[in-house]
Amino acid sequence: MAKHIDIRVVPRVLWFQSSIRLLIAMGLIGLLASSLAASDQQVSGKKIYQEQCAECHGAKGQGVDEHYSEPIGGQQSLEQLFEIIDGTMPEDDPERCEAEHARRVAKYIFDTFYNASQRAKIEHPSVALARLTVRQYKNTVTDLLARFAGDRSPDKQRGLQGRYYKAKNFRGDKKVFQRVDSRVAFDFGESSPDADKIGKAEFSIQWQGGIIAEDTGDYTFCVKTENGAKLWINDKTKPLVDAWVRSGDQTEHSATIRLLGGRAYYLRLDYFKFKEKTASISLQWQPPHKAREIIPERNLSPVGFPWRLVVDTEFPPDDSSVGYERGTSVSKSWDQATTYAAIEVANKVVARLVLLSGCKENDPKRQARLKDFCYRFVSLAFRRQLSAEQKQFFVDRQFKQSADLSSAVKRVVLLALKSPRFLYPGIRSGAPDDYDVASRIALGLWDSLPDSVLWQAASQGKLRTAEQVARQAKRMVRDPRTRAKLRYFLHHWLDYDRAENLAKDKKLFPEFDSVLASDLRTSLDLFLDDVIWSGDGDCRNLLLSDAMFVNKPLARFYDIQVPVADDFVKVTCDPAKRAGVLTHPFLMATFAYHKSSSPIHRGVFVVRSLVGRALKPPPIAVAPLDEGLDSKMTTRERVALQTKPAACNTCHALINPLGFSFEHYDAMGRYREREKDRPIDASGAYRTLAGKRVTFTGARQLAEYLARSDEVHRTFVEQLFHSVVKQPLAAYGPKTLEELTKSFEETDFNVQKLLVTIINKTVFWKPGNRG
Amino acid sequence: MVQRQTRRTFIREAGVTTATLPFIWNLASLGFAKPNRRKQRLIIMFSPNGVVPTQFWPKEQGTAFQLPPILSPLEPFKDRTLVLNGICNKVRGDGDSHMRGMSCLLTGIELFPGNIQGGSHTPAGWPRGLSIDQEIKNYFQDRADTQTRFGSLEFGVAVPHRADPWTRMVYAGPNKPLVPIDDPYQMLRHMYGQVQDQKSLKIVLDDVCKDLKKIRTMVSAEDRKLLEEHETFVREMEKELQASQIDSSKFPTPFLDKGVKNVNDNIPKLSRMQIDLLVNGLVCDFMRVATLQYTNSVGSSHMRWIGIDESHHELSHHPDSNKESQKMLTKINTWFCEQLTYLVQKLADTPEPDGDGCLLDNTTVIWTNELGKGNSHTLNNIPFVLVGGGMRFRMGRSLRYKNIAHNRLHLSLAHAVGHRLKTFGKPKLCDGGVLPDLV
Repeated sequence: MAKHIDIRVVPRVLWFQSSIRLLIAMGLIGLLASSLAASDQQVSGKKIYQEQCAECHGAKGQGVDEHYSEPIGGQQSLEQLFEIIDGTMPEDDPERCEAEHARRVAKYIFDTFYNASQRAKIEHPSVALARLTVRQYKNTVTDLLARFAGDRSPDKQRGLQGRYYKAKNFRGDKKVFQRVDSRVAFDFGESSPDADKIGKAEFSIQWQGGIIAEDTGDYTFCVKTENGAKLWINDKTKPLVDAWVRSGDQTEHSATIRLLGGRAYYLRLDYFKFKEKTASISLQWQPPHKAREIIPERNLSPVGFPWRLVVDTEFPPDDSSVGYERGTSVSKSWDQATTYAAIEVANKVVARLVLLSGCKENDPKRQARLKDFCYRFVSLAFRRQLSAEQKQFFVDRQFKQSADLSSAVKRVVLLALKSPRFLYPGIRSGAPDDYDVASRIALGLWDSLPDSVLWQAASQGKLRTAEQVARQAKRMVRDPRTRAKLRYFLHHWLDYDRAENLAKDKKLFPEFDSVLASDLRTSLDLFLDDVIWSGDGDCRNLLLSDAMFVNKPLARFYDIQVPVADDFVKVTCDPAKRAGVLTHPFLMATFAYHKSSSPIHRGVFVVRSLVGRALKPPPIAVAPLDEGLDSKMTTRERVALQTKPAACNTCHALINPLGFSFEHYDAMGRYREREKDRPIDASGAYRTLAGKRVTFTGARQLAEYLARSDEVHRTFVEQLFHSVVKQPLAAYGPKTLEELTKSFEETDFNVQKLLVTIINKTVFWKPGNRG
Repeated sequence: MVQRQTRRTFIREAGVTTATLPFIWNLASLGFAKPNRRKQRLIIMFSPNGVVPTQFWPKEQGTAFQLPPILSPLEPFKDRTLVLNGICNKVRGDGDSHMRGMSCLLTGIELFPGNIQGGSHTPAGWPRGLSIDQEIKNYFQDRADTQTRFGSLEFGVAVPHRADPWTRMVYAGPNKPLVPIDDPYQMLRHMYGQVQDQKSLKIVLDDVCKDLKKIRTMVSAEDRKLLEEHETFVREMEKELQASQIDSSKFPTPFLDKGVKNVNDNIPKLSRMQIDLLVNGLVCDFMRVATLQYTNSVGSSHMRWIGIDESHHELSHHPDSNKESQKMLTKINTWFCEQLTYLVQKLADTPEPDGDGCLLDNTTVIWTNELGKGNSHTLNNIPFVLVGGGMRFRMGRSLRYKNIAHNRLHLSLAHAVGHRLKTFGKPKLCDGGVLPDLV
């Protein structure tokens, strides 16, 4: 499969089988099937299968090692399955197979084990013991220490608290005024912040509050000034950027720090001007995957936050070969990473022991108080109360064997974080107890550990009914950590990874630069947040909404009328031209080539992410046709020509007609009526799993169909489930998907409610219990 | 920065890649990599506010000279001492004398214009170049036979916790001040944290395995496989730790008195702790270059332990006619010389770990100051007292140069370690090349 067009080849779900493989498999047995079925009109599909197919495919289509080992299964409709069997088997003479018999075998295979839910009955996927994923590990450690250092979620206020002084140091008697600034981007020129009250030769400003991180990753903070400034992020004791001494013509000072999404951090910025001719300051950042920008108001909080411990140790990535990250395997490099991380945390804990334990170094009862700190630390790490024996093993012994108190604490932390009781939250032999339930809720919604309220509910035995669990889950869904987790899921769902370093042909589209690409990402993020968290939270609006978030550069580039504003604003677009995420220029540009649109990428996205059907790697290598092949040929024509070979058609018959409906959007997601001076043909079609053919013209009509489609609902539920629970959905019972989908439809497609339902469906699971 | 030293930064500092060392604990082997060539080490010690010239400079030149009162503690090492008079900091430009005295002392180059205003002159920023200790460190680190784990370590005693041209003298490059670590416990962690972590880890991993055994019985046969796999990794790590066991006789973790707070009145204790750590670092060959900075330019310690309540800086402003102050300043500088002597004595008492003689044979300690004299703020006749054989200079002498730029001394240091620079710092101030009569 060398040089095919660049399409992701990893299937979203492993066990779905390819139509290609099926073709081959059916080919092997086709001869026998057709000769047997010669004249008996009454023979059933089951009989044909058992006598002629089972030898190679197994009695239940599970595959047979020495013949065809892959189980039969796939995403074709019954009609398509029939066509494949009828049209291709037996391989040497397809004519010999009677249509009626092919139909019976196809129906039998389809009804019995071909589709996913049928397969689930046969394969019995189970809930496997899992370690914390990397994300879960890092969130858990940070939130664990936050239980000691204090924790706070940002309220609704935004901006930073600014205190203005008429001297270069922050002396109380020189303070002139205090106000909330929406962002730090000031050019005072040769003047001062307030010409009447503050002299221009010398003044200073102190901004304080918090910084709200939405995504997890490395953030580069940059202070831009020709004067002096110092910036603290998270750590009050040491500035991240120290540019107090202005030296030469250095005006940009930056440093990088890792932050976890869904959390807010302490921020302070000190600034002074002294004798320089001019004064200006701006506080900027480069969040992960984005371009540098002035920190927007929505990420600033005028109230401060306690210090958080953020683990810097690098971990190897989790296995996500089944379409979601899960912790069901371990490796040496992972084990090493847990060791380095444990050492890192132990050192950081000891360095902050006074803050974390609340016990001063000269406290006469220091030993007893540090032991209490350690009991609590281990208990939180294990997500349950400790037995007397555990206290002895994990804490008392370590204190007894250590030379001094801080090495005792270090050993306790190391031991707790290396313990399987911390690393494998799912260890349990029987039915879950209250603490298991609490732990599952917190992992499901936050990828973290229970907060104090949830812990209390567990300790009081108040997590035993669906109502009690729902009460906690509803509370927790509103926490920023759920937002962060859901955002992480949505990014995965929309294939954000593809958009890393999104760029277009610089000669053709010089305006499309990294800043614009970054703005597009922000625009889509804001849209996602808006649909999910404000209003009725109806997920169908992800597809149907005509709203878009734009700032000035985006509005200009995409020809959208906006009110004057510095930041992003929500605007309503022509519904004929824009439909939710589907036509969002970020996705349209992502699923496109350097110079032209890509109906194939767009079609594949709809097939995999929306209707949830598996696609296998292309069977033959096909070099993409050059865009300049024919100056009159449209993209649509070129793609059709390219995928014309029969071997392409099993998949491209599905992919292309979906992708063609996006042809109104060029390589950067701009709306167009014409290509190469010819009107756009955006007609498309789709055949459902049940075999029904649907047609539409343009993305809006496609979006309307998809928003109604049961397949789409089911796919969304399944993907969200896997992201939340990180175990195969089918392990929770054959009816679980149907039930969840039904509940999703009945609750007006509200994703917050769906999260609560998923939690309730899974937290009481016990071994041997399948829904 | 320092207390967050991670394994990765350690590896970076050690100049080894993860590919060669999958699990790096074996510090000892890094510490004693290349025993062949004779080592050369440089230590620069700084004290502030100038000296009392009449009590500091020897009256005689050449080998027959008397050590004046301030230098008298060095008497046992007189034949290994070199006093250089007549060396001047000729860097001009922005910044007052204290700032230039400090930040151009080791860099020999002007400060950038900036926003830090001293008592006089124009405001300034950081120097435009790196300091000589870092230049030599880089030279050593670039060569396999002189490379060490840290290259250099920057020690401080009672350095104020603010970063400006008065508190920093070591620079990794233009606008790149390096922070001296003035907390011995922090320095201990920086130097030996990995070794201590390893010890704790070894004990802990044994407990982890015990616990894993217990837990295995709690899960299904299927899930047990995962835990068993996990256990093999833990066992492997245990074995690797065993294999990389550190030879503690070669690699002693120094013992520090507990609970010494980083406050003015503890300066004598802190000074000894830092010197002990510094010498330890040399024994382990963690670095070949070190600086030891007492307070800062304009340093205002109150040396109550020798009966002086007034601040050092304030006293240094008093006129020569104030005999009482002159006496006190002499006392203060003598105390600094005692610290130098303690360091030198320790170097003399410590044998070269893998060769002949003692550390002092291969180490040059330079004691210097940001000013020639406190009350005049002169940058002429900057004190430079050298002790020890690291640079292979002819010792046991008192030399008097005539108004020579201190850049030429820096050049001489570089040449002494084989780094044949044409200029260092401001090129014009290097006219004439290395100092005559040193070797």
